[in-house]
Amino acid sequence: MKTPAPGLAALLDAEQRRHRRTFRRAIACAAAAAMPGVALLGLSGWFLAAAAAAGLGGLAAAQAFNYLLPSATVRLLAILRTGGRYGERLLGHGAALRSMAALRSGVFRAVCGAPVAQALARGTGEATTVLMQDVAAIEDRLVRRTAPWAAGSALAGGLALTALAGRAPVVSTVACALLVVAASGRLGRRRRASALLLRDAQGALKDRLGLLAASAAELRCYGLESWARGRVDADSAALLAAQRRLAFDGSRLELLLAVGTGTAAVAAVALAMGQGAPLAALAGLSAAMALEGLSPLLRSRQLAETCAEAAQRLDGLLLAGGEPESGLQVGPHASIEWPLVSASRIPPGARVAIVGPSGCGKTTLVETLVGLRPAVPGRLRLGSVDVARLSAVALRRHFAWLPQDAALIAGTVRDNLLLAHDAATEAGLWDALHDAALDDRMRAAPHGLDTWIGEDGARLSGGERRRLALARAYLSPAPWLLLDEPTEGLDAVTENVVVQRLVARLDRTGQGLLAVSHRAAVVQACGEVLQAGAEPVQSTREYRARAESACR
Amino acid sequence: MNLFLKETERGSRTWLRRSTALLLTDTVAAVGFAGGLAGAVSALADRPAAALPWLLLALVSAGLRGTAAMAAARCGARASEAARRQLRQRTVAGALAGGLDGGATGGGLMHTAVDGVDAFDAYLARFVPARRAATVAPLLVMAAVAWASPVCALILLGTLLPFGVLMAFAGVASADESDRQFRALNRLSGLFADRMRALPVVLAFGAQAREADRLQGAAQDVATRTLRVLRLAFLSSAVLEFFAALGVALVAVYAGFQLLGLLPFPVPEHLDLARAFFALALAPEFYAPMRRLAAAYHDRQAALTAAGRVAPLAAAAADRPVSPVAPRAHAAAGGAPSLRFDNVTIRYPGQAAPTVRGLSFTVGSGCTVAILGPTGSGKTSLLRLLLGVAPLVAGQVLVGNRVLDEGESIAPLAAWVGQHPLIVPGTLHDNLVLAWPEASKTMVSDAVTEAGLGPLLARRGMDLQSPVDARGSGLSGGERRRLALARAVLKPAPVWLLDEPTAHLDEASEAGLIASIARARRGRTTLIATHSEKLAAIADVVVRLELPA
Repeated sequence: MKTPAPGLAALLDAEQRRHRRTFRRAIACAAAAAMPGVALLGLSGWFLAAAAAAGLGGLAAAQAFNYLLPSATVRLLAILRTGGRYGERLLGHGAALRSMAALRSGVFRAVCGAPVAQALARGTGEATTVLMQDVAAIEDRLVRRTAPWAAGSALAGGLALTALAGRAPVVSTVACALLVVAASGRLGRRRRASALLLRDAQGALKDRLGLLAASAAELRCYGLESWARGRVDADSAALLAAQRRLAFDGSRLELLLAVGTGTAAVAAVALAMGQGAPLAALAGLSAAMALEGLSPLLRSRQLAETCAEAAQRLDGLLLAGGEPESGLQVGPHASIEWPLVSASRIPPGARVAIVGPSGCGKTTLVETLVGLRPAVPGRLRLGSVDVARLSAVALRRHFAWLPQDAALIAGTVRDNLLLAHDAATEAGLWDALHDAALDDRMRAAPHGLDTWIGEDGARLSGGERRRLALARAYLSPAPWLLLDEPTEGLDAVTENVVVQRLVARLDRTGQGLLAVSHRAAVVQACGEVLQAGAEPVQSTREYRARAESACR
Repeated sequence: MNLFLKETERGSRTWLRRSTALLLTDTVAAVGFAGGLAGAVSALADRPAAALPWLLLALVSAGLRGTAAMAAARCGARASEAARRQLRQRTVAGALAGGLDGGATGGGLMHTAVDGVDAFDAYLARFVPARRAATVAPLLVMAAVAWASPVCALILLGTLLPFGVLMAFAGVASADESDRQFRALNRLSGLFADRMRALPVVLAFGAQAREADRLQGAAQDVATRTLRVLRLAFLSSAVLEFFAALGVALVAVYAGFQLLGLLPFPVPEHLDLARAFFALALAPEFYAPMRRLAAAYHDRQAALTAAGRVAPLAAAAADRPVSPVAPRAHAAAGGAPSLRFDNVTIRYPGQAAPTVRGLSFTVGSGCTVAILGPTGSGKTSLLRLLLGVAPLVAGQVLVGNRVLDEGESIAPLAAWVGQHPLIVPGTLHDNLVLAWPEASKTMVSDAVTEAGLGPLLARRGMDLQSPVDARGSGLSGGERRRLALARAVLKPAPVWLLDEPTAHLDEASEAGLIASIARARRGRTTLIATHSEKLAAIADVVVRLELPA
């Protein structure tokens, strides 16, 4: 294997090793809980039958019967069982939760390192949901890691007790256990097929809903709403039928477990007949409890079958490996060039407004520059190197970006700002906020920079979100600012303040500016205008080389 | 939200009742199984052959148990299926009827209508039958034990009392803590989802390593805190386990001493091996229904969490029935009606600021008005208001001379061209006649010509019988808009509502489409919401909106 990236199994193994101690203690607890569970009922049965026999034998026999040991054992077992279960759960969940922390960040790292088109395809809605569900499915599997040990312990305990009644009941119990395990394996395969059907039905319903929801107004105008509801309902019925099929498959396990348990008990009693009532009772109840001890394992295996696909997907993601690093670097004072269009070169430190009708490729240009879209070879250069040959990481070092949707992360104002430059000083943060005309607002906020802004800045107004995203771009030390609609949604007064401070900031830092905007204030501040068109970008004016003096 | 869960249960009363009844059958069969084993063991003491019928009883009972448990699970699944189908119907109806407003996207709707509704599955299929059975099944077991040995029944009852008291204490605490843990886990996966959503920004600033570390730190933190919380939650199940084990142990010890005749106090009952063994074998069953319920506790929480999302959407359809304006009334008035927006204010529930505030303008009969403004300034809301799906909080809309009442829609009079035209699998012809099923062949081909769709299709060797799939693969963005335009032409609608019909088109397609719209809209009252100055140029009047402060 050439890929050094750890797959899911390796990642989980590593976690298991890291939490080895906890895991072992959890297993010990699981075993300690399962065995007394079996022994409790088995021994009690034996005790009763033996006591009855001794009681019938008269007072002398009853006095001779050592009742203290069994009755004390029975009580001890009750306590052991409780403590063991408690420990198993606590330790097992602890190890699982800690492993999940590593798994989640591992998955996040893998997505970040994947080639950009793939990473962003995953970053949106539906794909995120799949990823989240996959991780949750694995989480469930982690919590159930102790199940095989508990089942093994229950089985071992049960067999040890039935062995007291001879070899035959042991054989019958083992046979029953094997049959149940084999049959549940078959059920599992069936369930796996059902799970695939279910996934397809789910996808079909989501697709249909997405398409119809996007044309809700059209549906209403043409009186098609009930028709649309009917279509959705048909897909919904198909999904529900697939879910029913899966549930029905699962219900067979109930039958299997009950019949297996009953058969094992009856067979053990029948085969232990010759050993007398006490041992037959012991064998019967122990065999039943041994089989019942298997049920958590079999249930979790059923779930594992349905999440096999999730594991596969995560594995593929983790193993996909990173984007190839070309190793090519461009120095900090790089110009942006369009080789196909003559005289299209923006020197370092220049300030340029990119204008053009919507849909003409302005945002595409910006996203190509920040390495979020694969570049078409031969179209665009940075410092005379074709952008298509630069790795996304190398490219991103040159640009501080304000995205058109001003996307923010859930967290505090500080979290969002530090995203751009985690070494920024407190003064640097306030400086950036000042230049984005957001400092007064933040000073007035009771928690200042630690104000919680909600998911995607939900607690801020549209204008505040944009200005915070602008301040974030300011913090990045990159030589170019790439601002996509920096003043969209701001009132005229704020817009003027923002533009003035932007110019002052650029004068101070010597950074270059590419601003996508049709607002007069921004275009004026830039001085240069690029008309974006069908061929990536066409220059409409000559550029003054103002860079050399401004760039330090 | 509790009420909402109850209401959802009502959707499948019969199946839930059956599932509960089958769970109780399982308990009755457990009594049979215990009886069979007890009979067999006690018969062994005298005559081994006499044990056989008892063993047969045990075997049959085991089969019955399995069948009942399987059938209970299946009935639960049926109950869940029926209830969720209804719930999804309501959710989807609500979404289509206007629950979509307030900015919910298709993604959000899908999440709510598919995953949100499915979050009720385990609650309906497992929790509800388990809860109902848990109130009766222990009584059944106790009655059976009491028949064999009243003292054993009293012992079980005795363990139930401290159990109940402890559970009441631990239960309140643990339900609380368990809720908190559930929320903490939700928050953590929320954090993960958030960073996935903001991935472009994280990547562009090269912050992936830092964010991954932070994610890990947060997850570790939640793990530590959750564990503290889980201690209590597990304590309550430990209480349950302990009393279940204690019940078995006490029955065994009591019955053993009674059989030995060594009890230090007189007990007014005669106990033989069969009865004692029966009570012992049945003791675990006394606690089984409660353990089943405890295992399903999280199902209820998951459903409650989902109810928060599903309920508003499901209620949206019921709250706002939309009545169409009678087309006849306007047809009688003659020609295309004018539309007058009079001091209109639109505010979505839950939003502080109105989307549109005090706006007045008139679209004259047969005239075109374009509304220009940035995203979020309420352009589309004005169009949706005419379809009865935007909340008008002040002002009024007049269609002709008639005031459009709350919840009324001009849909029967209107045709719509939007950014995402509806495409259904079938032929192009099928797609067109959706708008006007009684259209003749000539009407369809005229509409295709007028919308400028004909030449485009001809160039690609397609005709009206060419198939299209649900995603409209094979049709360009411009062709889809023209398909929608042809639909609008086909329907004899006096009002046209165009919602960014030229968005995301290249310059040439946009110019062509604008020309077609300008030609085809004649004689219709047309309201256009757009970003495009070029499209706005064909309007008689342009209304410019600003973002609300």
